[in-house]
Amino acid sequence: MSPTGQLSGLPILAIDSHVRYIQSLDTKKDELDYWLTEHLRLNGVYWGLTALHLLGRPDALPRQETIDFVLSCQHDNGGFGAAPGHDAHMLSTVSAVQILAMVDGFDDLETKGKGKQQVGTYIANLQNRDTGTFSGDEWGEEDTRFLYGALNALSLLGLLSLADVDKAVSYVVSCTNHDGGYGVRPGAESHSGQIFTCVAALAIAQRLDLVDKEKLGRWLSERQVPCGGLNGRPEKKEDVCYSWWVLSSLKIIDLVHWIDREALIRFILSCQDEESGGISDRPNDRVDVWHTCFGVAGLSLLGYPNMETVDPVYCMPKPVIERILG
Amino acid sequence: MASHGVARASGPRTEEQRELDLDKIDRYRTLENQVRQKATDQSFGEETFQLTSKLLRINPEYYTVWNVRRRCLISGLLSGPLPGSSPSKALPSSSATDTPTTSSDASLASSLTRTQQPHDSQTIGHNGTTPEPWAGDLDTIKSELAFTIPLLMEFPKCYWIWQYRLWVLDQAVERLPVSASRRIWEEELGLVSKMLHRDTRNFHAWGYRRHVVTKLESSTLNGSSMTEPEFAYTTSKINADLSNFSAWHSRSQLIPRLLNERKADQAARKDFLERELNLVREGLNVGPEDQSLWFYHQYLIANILETPGYQTIAPDLTDEERKSYVESEIVEIKDLLEDYEDIKWIYEALLEYTLALDKLTKATPSSQHDLSSWLGKLRTLDPMRAGRWSDMEKQWSQA
Repeated sequence: MSPTGQLSGLPILAIDSHVRYIQSLDTKKDELDYWLTEHLRLNGVYWGLTALHLLGRPDALPRQETIDFVLSCQHDNGGFGAAPGHDAHMLSTVSAVQILAMVDGFDDLETKGKGKQQVGTYIANLQNRDTGTFSGDEWGEEDTRFLYGALNALSLLGLLSLADVDKAVSYVVSCTNHDGGYGVRPGAESHSGQIFTCVAALAIAQRLDLVDKEKLGRWLSERQVPCGGLNGRPEKKEDVCYSWWVLSSLKIIDLVHWIDREALIRFILSCQDEESGGISDRPNDRVDVWHTCFGVAGLSLLGYPNMETVDPVYCMPKPVIERILG
Repeated sequence: MASHGVARASGPRTEEQRELDLDKIDRYRTLENQVRQKATDQSFGEETFQLTSKLLRINPEYYTVWNVRRRCLISGLLSGPLPGSSPSKALPSSSATDTPTTSSDASLASSLTRTQQPHDSQTIGHNGTTPEPWAGDLDTIKSELAFTIPLLMEFPKCYWIWQYRLWVLDQAVERLPVSASRRIWEEELGLVSKMLHRDTRNFHAWGYRRHVVTKLESSTLNGSSMTEPEFAYTTSKINADLSNFSAWHSRSQLIPRLLNERKADQAARKDFLERELNLVREGLNVGPEDQSLWFYHQYLIANILETPGYQTIAPDLTDEERKSYVESEIVEIKDLLEDYEDIKWIYEALLEYTLALDKLTKATPSSQHDLSSWLGKLRTLDPMRAGRWSDMEKQWSQA
């Protein structure tokens, strides 16, 4: 590839447009969707900020405002809601920790927030000590998404010891299917999103020896469809967000070369809105920050030029993970 | 925030559209602020409950509002006694639960509830006049279940709705006698079948089905195994659509239990295995490009070859029997080549199964010529996975 990012006629990643698009997200208060998606606000900041870091513009959002907003979502129990006034939940708490990690804001969490220990306790208390899995909040929904999120955030906080990691690992193993994949719960069908959460959780627990890499790799590699995109399950349509779930899982088990890299790059780039910025699920669909994040992260993982390297386990910039985990 | 399949807008909004949006935002935020104020004030009465109905119909993704609704129910609207406890506590609930049906918002809910007359009659006491102490809770629970139905139909992939519904069902277990609770849970199977009819691959619905079945089988609801009807359900889903990977998956999950419950001896297990092989092969004869079928076929072969963790169908096959089964599958798959030359799955299966067979029999490797020619076909037909085919070649040339 040339330094400009062109690979035998590939369209160019419209970095400036994407940066502007992400920066504009908080100015759309005259759109109903802005208000209807408030329950995802903190997740949205994580998606946007991750994309900006990977696009090489980590400072494109105001740092102190970001920290202040994150801390304004925290509850006394240490957990974070999606926005001020929203109940604490695992998903927004994990996003809060990831954002603070990216902006190097853990000190603010100690001085202005409730502190790391309290956040860690909130997360660890959501573990089902009998089975090892985690629920999303006090109302009890259990899902391997929450288990992964818990291990992700606890490890970033340096508080993994608060959870029963061995039990969590056994639970993930009990979600393994005969096709090598993993589901939401034991017995549930393999799904690329859940495969990412399970494999990445095992990576954090340093138990990748428990993965049947060959079998899983086969199933994952079959997610690539003729247009180059990846689907989440057999016989489903391709979707840019699976550029992340499938690809990162393949990366973690060292089998990215089992799919066609260039075809996937082409597919992701065909879903970007070059002028207004943002990436959508499929070409010419409406863009959103979620697909923008996972499309950009996919490109970074595929080695698209001039991008920050993404960590496949955390879906965060690699230098940030190295700074925190050493 | 994550939109799927929505076309990109062709241009900016007109000023008129913008005004319209601003008006909607204003109404939405007013409603939202009302609910939030109530929650801040810890006011979880019927007024708050009605506000959550309004808000959730507009935005069922608003998980905090589902939580407010739960708090309304547990702090008053659902205050009936647990079975066996003092009936005096039942009184507040009977008046509170009248309210959902008086609101125009809840008219759909109440009309749906009314269609369940036979069950409503169960709540009348033995003397025909005094309601059972848990009657109010039963009505509330039914009304809540009815409330979520139109939302599920419109937003079938919304986690929060499914989760709220399960929470309501758990309230039934806690607050109603087993017989009444069981009837509520049984009706869920009807709902989930309807959802899976609309979208045969909705993984929320498949997961929900497993959850409901597990509960119905549990001693909590005086249940017993439903493995046979559930297995029959997967057969019917597969017959309707061979590509239903979800149904094949569910089938593979049920098989170990099914055979144990049938107390199947070795002959019955072999017979079962052969039937499954026939079923999937019939599918492959008409749809050899369907990966759902191949994954199921691989599952059966893994069973035959006793890949660790897979000895579930016929665990006591002799090596001779294993060999014979796999050989005959290879012959059948080769037959597919007569009709379908360009399906990569056929060559992949031939390669995988032949190599596995060599490993089993520890025989001299099969004809290198065949293996090389199948691999060549894979490279031509499926260049996207070229790296995989190279790794495969390395593996067998090292063996």
